[in-house]
Amino acid sequence: MLNIRRISSSRWWHKKKIWIFLGIFLFLVFVRISKGSLYKDFFYFISRPFWPGQFQKEVILKSINQESLLKINLLNKDNIRLREILSLQQSSNNDNISAAVISRKTGGWWRQIILNKGSNDGVEIGSTVTGPGGLLGRVNNTSFFTSSVTLLTSPESKLGVWIDRSQINGLLVGSGDDHPSLILYSKEADIKVGDFVSSSPASSLLPPNIPIGIVKSIDETSQSKKTAKILLLAKPHLIDWVQILKLNI
Amino acid sequence: MGANFEIKYLMNKFLTKKLSIISFIFIPIIFLWHPGWLGFLGVQPYWPLFWLLPWAMINGSINGLVFGLFLGLILDSLTLDNNFSQIPGLIFCGFFFGRIKSHSDILVGHFRYGLICSFGSLLCSTLYLAQILFSNFLDGNFFMFIPGVKNILAEVFLTGLFAPFICSQLLRMFKFSRRKLW
Repeated sequence: MLNIRRISSSRWWHKKKIWIFLGIFLFLVFVRISKGSLYKDFFYFISRPFWPGQFQKEVILKSINQESLLKINLLNKDNIRLREILSLQQSSNNDNISAAVISRKTGGWWRQIILNKGSNDGVEIGSTVTGPGGLLGRVNNTSFFTSSVTLLTSPESKLGVWIDRSQINGLLVGSGDDHPSLILYSKEADIKVGDFVSSSPASSLLPPNIPIGIVKSIDETSQSKKTAKILLLAKPHLIDWVQILKLNI
Repeated sequence: MGANFEIKYLMNKFLTKKLSIISFIFIPIIFLWHPGWLGFLGVQPYWPLFWLLPWAMINGSINGLVFGLFLGLILDSLTLDNNFSQIPGLIFCGFFFGRIKSHSDILVGHFRYGLICSFGSLLCSTLYLAQILFSNFLDGNFFMFIPGVKNILAEVFLTGLFAPFICSQLLRMFKFSRRKLW
């Protein structure tokens, strides 16, 4: 019997090909177990530029915008007509003054903005100032060329507002941070997070129905009243141009 | 040519003599300007203290007190809060900064300015918050406390941060203009 002696001890696991094959196999097993999620995610990224919805979305958004504009116009007309019938306060759009913000204090103790239109341009103390989004504050002081506006967030600001959904009147008090507090003097007041707050039709300081903000959180710890934090729609720290509505109440 | 030179000389003399007063005028401007990029949590450093500290250190307590009052009057006129005033804090700071001078004549180290100004701003803003809280307490509202504390902390931090740079420069300028006077 010949004693065959091995020259090199080559085993199957010394072969590189087998390991590559095993790696691929395991990878495919993983793909199988994960139900092809890797493939799908990969496809998500490479197919992104060719998605069908992009252009369509723009067209739809545009038409939705046009539709809402038309609706707003119709509602506005309706509103004016009804207000005339009921002889309620009017907010006219004819006497607006556009002004730029030249100084801005929106953090810290003092919350005010200074506008580049003053008594020379017909701005009066007490005029309402709105920006993109809604109400910003009221003119507190005018000089010949400038007017200073107390923002809704200022501790000095106290305004009558109402909640559109439940039609309850409340008092909006600036609390020195970016979210003023709404005080409702009734424990049973119907208020929810997400409710829309606008200027009160009963207010003698503001024209009615100017959007103000959205209820952010509600505090019900007090015995006699409810308070809520309001997220303002108009952002005074970003706005550069505002509208001054002439006092018409 | 001679007249021109004289005007230039007089202008220079006036500028160096009145440097402190000229810089005083800039406080309300920077207070109104309120550069957002210098702020922290939307709060600005308390600008008037940067001027008041060198002024009171050079000119003493009474001068500090008087100019604290002036600053308070001007800044109150720029802010719309009619019920609250910055005057008490600034008067006290002016007086207190003047006392620092009388106790030690050696130049205070840069970083001590930061500490002193921080303390001054803590004092001013606490007095201001106390007024707001008191007024709101009468109305039965307590919303201001937590945002107020946040404001104070941010203001104290920023004032302390900027004071070493600004105060030491202003102090040097004021000393320079005084030396020209004599």
